[in-house]
Amino acid sequence: MSSIFFMILQVIVIVLVAPFFDGVARVLRARLQSRKGPPDFLQTYRDIIKLFKRSRTIPKCSHWVFRYGPYTLFGTGAALLAVMPITYGSGTLASYASDVFVILYISAMLRYIFGIASIDSGNPFAGVGGSREQMIAVFVEPVMMTSLLVVMLLAQTSNLAEIQEMVRNGEIGYQMPAFAVASISFLWAMYVESGRNPYDLAEAEQELQEGVLGEYCGADFGLAHAGLILKQFAMIGMFLSIFEPWSFENPFLALFLFILKAGIFYVAAVFIDNFGPRYKLLTSFRSNAIAAFCVSFVALVLYVVGV
Amino acid sequence: MTHVYLLYLLGCVVSLLLYKQNKIAAKVGFSISAIASGYGIFYFLMNLSGTDSFSLGENLLYNPTFSLDPLGNFFSFVVTLIAFASSVYAIQYTEEYEKKGSLAVMAALFNSFILAMLLVLSASDVFWFMICWELMTIISAFLICYNDSKASLKAIMIYLGIAHFGGMCIMAAFLLMANQSGSLEFSSFSSVSLSPVMGSIIFLLAFIGFGSKAGMFPFHVWLPKAHPAAPTNVSALMSGVMIKVALFGIIKFCLWLPVMEWWGLLIIVIGALSSLLGVLYALIQHDYKSLLAYHSVENIGIILLGLGTGVYGIAINSPTLATIGFLAGLYHIVNHAIFKGLLFLGAGSVLHATHTREIEVLGGLAKKMPYTAFAMFIGVMGIAALPPLNGFVSEWFTYQGMMQGALGEGIIPRFVFTFSVVALAVTGVLVVIHLKLYAIIFAGTPRDMKIWNAAKEVPFTMIAGMMFLVAGCFVFGIGASVVTENIMSVVTSFSGSYNAIPATGQIASPIGSTISLPIVAMVISGAMTLPFIIAVMMKANRTKPRETDPWACGFKYSKRMQITAGPFTGDLRRLMEWLFKSKPTVETDGYFGPVKYTDHPKDIWWNIFYQPIINATEKAADKIGCLQNGSTNMYSAYILGTLCLFLGISYIL
Repeated sequence: MSSIFFMILQVIVIVLVAPFFDGVARVLRARLQSRKGPPDFLQTYRDIIKLFKRSRTIPKCSHWVFRYGPYTLFGTGAALLAVMPITYGSGTLASYASDVFVILYISAMLRYIFGIASIDSGNPFAGVGGSREQMIAVFVEPVMMTSLLVVMLLAQTSNLAEIQEMVRNGEIGYQMPAFAVASISFLWAMYVESGRNPYDLAEAEQELQEGVLGEYCGADFGLAHAGLILKQFAMIGMFLSIFEPWSFENPFLALFLFILKAGIFYVAAVFIDNFGPRYKLLTSFRSNAIAAFCVSFVALVLYVVGV
Repeated sequence: MTHVYLLYLLGCVVSLLLYKQNKIAAKVGFSISAIASGYGIFYFLMNLSGTDSFSLGENLLYNPTFSLDPLGNFFSFVVTLIAFASSVYAIQYTEEYEKKGSLAVMAALFNSFILAMLLVLSASDVFWFMICWELMTIISAFLICYNDSKASLKAIMIYLGIAHFGGMCIMAAFLLMANQSGSLEFSSFSSVSLSPVMGSIIFLLAFIGFGSKAGMFPFHVWLPKAHPAAPTNVSALMSGVMIKVALFGIIKFCLWLPVMEWWGLLIIVIGALSSLLGVLYALIQHDYKSLLAYHSVENIGIILLGLGTGVYGIAINSPTLATIGFLAGLYHIVNHAIFKGLLFLGAGSVLHATHTREIEVLGGLAKKMPYTAFAMFIGVMGIAALPPLNGFVSEWFTYQGMMQGALGEGIIPRFVFTFSVVALAVTGVLVVIHLKLYAIIFAGTPRDMKIWNAAKEVPFTMIAGMMFLVAGCFVFGIGASVVTENIMSVVTSFSGSYNAIPATGQIASPIGSTISLPIVAMVISGAMTLPFIIAVMMKANRTKPRETDPWACGFKYSKRMQITAGPFTGDLRRLMEWLFKSKPTVETDGYFGPVKYTDHPKDIWWNIFYQPIINATEKAADKIGCLQNGSTNMYSAYILGTLCLFLGISYIL
């Protein structure tokens, strides 16, 4: 039962800390763009608190899917974080939810709600944004699945907690060429899934990507926004659990180290997303995805021929 | 089992006797089939791992036996499960057909359709199997006739044409088999020894024959035509269970024949192709019922992935691989029956309320039909395999089975299995796009106010039928360990066994992956409550929100601004242009007039596989037509010639 406690703990702590790293990223981004930016790292907290005080406006055509959309978006983001084996190991009660397929399909649930809410809002931009979100998944999923499949076949299990421990103990790892190549393509998939430029632009609310957020305001908007930050953390967490799992035995220290590592990834992504324009979906994005798929395919071939 | 069969027969006879009282006949007929199905659900569930049989009278030429083994019990359970929901649904739904035809006959046909399916599952010799098989086809074709239109007649002809071809292949497979074993009884088939070539021929015939009925690629063309044409309660049965009865045939044959490796791989490749192409074609449909029919193609593909893994497991003598494969296949069979039945019933409710099958004119119906909306929401979630609903569990098993297959030796099997895993994952992503099925119909602003104003929630029994299946989606998902235990008792009756339920609430695969659906459900529901707690703790402003029009960049909002089903998948359609071969046209009329945009993506396989055959047949018919010249003397000459020919043949042999 203690694993369930740690599972709840890790979600709550990350929920509390995640806006801080978003604040750091925003300051850094502003500096890189020679803007002044927010005064300190706590701007995201202030934004959310302010949003929670505001009253709300919603489109009158929407029904419960849109109205509870922010809650379910936040909820699925939190569920994704909960199933990351950060503070608990294999064999514990909590680890029976920590399965690669569970993670993939919970993130599908996030897209599902996102899509319906975007159409339900009746907003012309939201619908396009929802559609784009689905297309991104179409590009990313083959890469993600192929890389993960290589890892799962090497580990002979789909349980994330067990995979993590195997990598930690050196039973599988970078000494295997297939694993090493898969890590590259998975890194790409993770970056795209975390919704950054040049693939997405999380900050551009009025633009297409997060168009669905365009119709949310007040506490709804704050929750939806926080939910998307959680999802990004969860995606980074998945990469860390498989490809960089070394951490402390002690759950509290492990959680601390995880937040530090994930935070560094989250902030470091600014260095990539700050340069270059956003890709068009069917041209540059597609060629990028094909390149990444080729990498993951190499990993698969390496596994199949048994290197 | 005889009780269940007799109840359906009773329903059939009683509704025919009430022919004059049309309305009462429908109520009574469908109520009896609901009672029979309800009884059947309990009966087949209780006797799942048992066997049962009965014989028809001695004076019927010979003494035909009908018997059910655990596999037959399982399929009978699936049939009665969906039959129950659609019978309950039909009680009030069929009032719509009062003017179109006799409801008494409809109820009788409906009862006998279910009975025919059950008899196919329990027939134990070639003669009765084929008789019931063809009865099943014919009765379903009659039921489609209730929606009388040119399109539905054409659909019936295509359906019957492919069913005919399939029936021929099955018949050939059975006769070859009987020739080798020396008896028409199924019991003699299991011990027959066949040469590899003969075995492969029989397998291919059976696979094509049953596969065409199941709607696998490339024999899928009849599904999207015939299923939408039928009345909803019948579509639910056709799409939910009739195509599964065909899979029953494939499993039967694979258990009789000396299985070879490439059969399993062939089934997997066809399964992967069916699932990908099925979902891609489903995405571009504007008729929501044919969209669902294409989804059946996709799900048959997923089931074939599981069954193929099982067949491959038998071939390489790996009992655990065979077990997980069949477990995955059977689990997905029941799951698909549940959510596809649910979606068809939901679609039928929408049709009932709006009288249109065109998705693009609907919208905003959730406010008018909250229960139907909820049912469809859960149905789409189920088909998209989102945890903790039922679709997820069976796809998890399918993934595990294929992964175990990919762990084996040999480069070709490894490639086949790994690619199929990726294909299934891509299918999973594409199915999520089917949120548009829910969203365009129920969410947003109504696109046609006239339809929206006229729409109202459907009557009670229709909702009850849907809610029964909604409950099924949850029970077969969260209660995965109980369901797995039951399906395992079926699978172990003809295959190996492994510890699939290591502890209460958990399910496991032979390679050792273990998940616990109750915990997954708990995590998700726990995480869903978190934002509410946060909102309360942060004292969020929870005053009632103002309701306005959606924001339209400062323009006045119009309902034509919102996205529709076509554009929602527009990027995908452009990406897959080579597969759809659509030629979009754009007509503009000045700056202020609306732009006319047409786009008709096609199922290209029709032109590749079917059109040449149809053309050749028509040409051949023209040529042969000269034989039929109307002269009786010539006809007698034909008969004489034929007799001489056969005499000659028999003399030579």
